[in-house]
Amino acid sequence: MTGIGFRKDFAEEFLQSSVLQPSFLEVAPENWIGVGGYWKKQLNKALKRYPLFLHGLSLSIGSPDPLDLDFLRKVKTFIKETGAGIYSEHLSYAKCDNAHLYDLLPVPFTADAVDHVSERILQVQDLLQQKIAIEIVSYYTPVAPEMTELEFINAVLRKSGCDLLLDVNNIYVNSFNHHYDPYQFIDGLTIDNVSYIHMAGHLKIADDLIIDTHGEAIIDPVYQLFDYAIRKLQKDVPVLLERDFNIPDLAELQHEILQLEKIKRDALKEKSYATA
Amino acid sequence: MQLLETTRNHQSELAKYCRTGQYNPIQGVNERHVGRYRQLVINVVDDTLRSAFPLTCNLLSPDEWTKEVNDFFSSHACQSPQVWSMPKEFWAYVKDQQPAIVKKYPFLDELLWLEWLEVEMFMMEDKTAGHTPAGNLKKDKIVINPEHHLQYFTYPVHLKNAQQITKTDKGHYFLVLHREPVTGKVKFTNLSPFLARMVELLAEKPRTIKELIKKTSREIGIVPDQQLAEDVLHFLENALAGGLIHGFVNK
Ligand SMILES: [Fe+2]
Repeated sequence: MTGIGFRKDFAEEFLQSSVLQPSFLEVAPENWIGVGGYWKKQLNKALKRYPLFLHGLSLSIGSPDPLDLDFLRKVKTFIKETGAGIYSEHLSYAKCDNAHLYDLLPVPFTADAVDHVSERILQVQDLLQQKIAIEIVSYYTPVAPEMTELEFINAVLRKSGCDLLLDVNNIYVNSFNHHYDPYQFIDGLTIDNVSYIHMAGHLKIADDLIIDTHGEAIIDPVYQLFDYAIRKLQKDVPVLLERDFNIPDLAELQHEILQLEKIKRDALKEKSYATA
Repeated sequence: MQLLETTRNHQSELAKYCRTGQYNPIQGVNERHVGRYRQLVINVVDDTLRSAFPLTCNLLSPDEWTKEVNDFFSSHACQSPQVWSMPKEFWAYVKDQQPAIVKKYPFLDELLWLEWLEVEMFMMEDKTAGHTPAGNLKKDKIVINPEHHLQYFTYPVHLKNAQQITKTDKGHYFLVLHREPVTGKVKFTNLSPFLARMVELLAEKPRTIKELIKKTSREIGIVPDQQLAEDVLHFLENALAGGLIHGFVNK
């Protein structure tokens, strides 16, 4: 199944036509919790037609600050109300010194951070009574690293046992910005934990920097990396097309969805390629 | 294992940089690229505030706006995990901290509050009240739309272009905002003190027009006449048509 991020920018047009045909929708609970009126009506309309996945922004799993348990309880209620299938979050921090920053900052790749993050993932899973999926974020600089990004992620997965949200575009962006081979990165990843995949476009703003904008179409090298990841994974997991800005015609988004489905279908058919 | 003090400090330094724009070297950080974080963070904050406060943004010069946004974000620790409700904290910051700009625009916190109210009323959770749309305004008990908010201002921020408001405008202004049930749009209605009190009474419990006029007149100290009764009926008719009045008590 291939879904789309349900954005207010195209919600109305999407719900009124059948151009875009995702198999599920994803929203950030932060944008919808406690919301009534017009947007509640739109969300309810969407929920009648599509399953929902949640992708959080402000849990700040990697923060030195304590977890916001009140907010997490609201998320739990929202999961129940909407019947959401997956709740995923980012392997990053968005709050520090008791202040929200409204963006995803990179966690230092250190052993103590592995322990800290893993403990908090377990705490969240315990409160929600469900497994969560953690997304590898795009980052523009490491911070005081003691180990590689790959070692850090694998250690968190091993220690917490949580699921992995594999954002293929983020891996492409990071491999470019931090000079590594994205294929080798996927080879090294504890891939069994992958339960969900994100795909998106990005923007190259300098010779040595790509920004993860979700504002462009997916480029071919990212499709190729996706193909590689699915062949490696050899299981059918939900895939999400993320498009947050610079929204094109819905037909273009539908084209991308079909493209993703075709690649996945072909990759799962040709098992012989699997772990080549 | 607890998060080590050094890790904590590195995270705090990066967060501080994002909030203030002042960079102190952090171990292992790529100084060419770390600026993206400050830019991403301040862009989100600036965009969110701009879209919540278009009138204020238009009133202030670009430099004034940038200064207030930067001062706010660097000195105030934003508490809302939901970015759409963060602008309320900007209003509270201006009201409580009274930055120098308030001397130039003494109505600034009221303007911000008016703009925030529109956002909040548009976004707030649904409230319902039992009622029937069928009834007679002249004799039945009237049910007000629970999705309303009565507001008092000392400056006419809802009536005048903000650029034209001066100290001489200081006075007593009442308005009611409500969320239109079908479209979800937020509507503003300017009110006389009489009508404001009447709306307040209606919010307490459903009342008939007769009860409303009698009680409001007594409290305000006026003798109701035919003209007043006609004006009130006219107001209620408009309120019913515009969705401020929901309907009537279920019999
Ligand atoms: Fe993603």
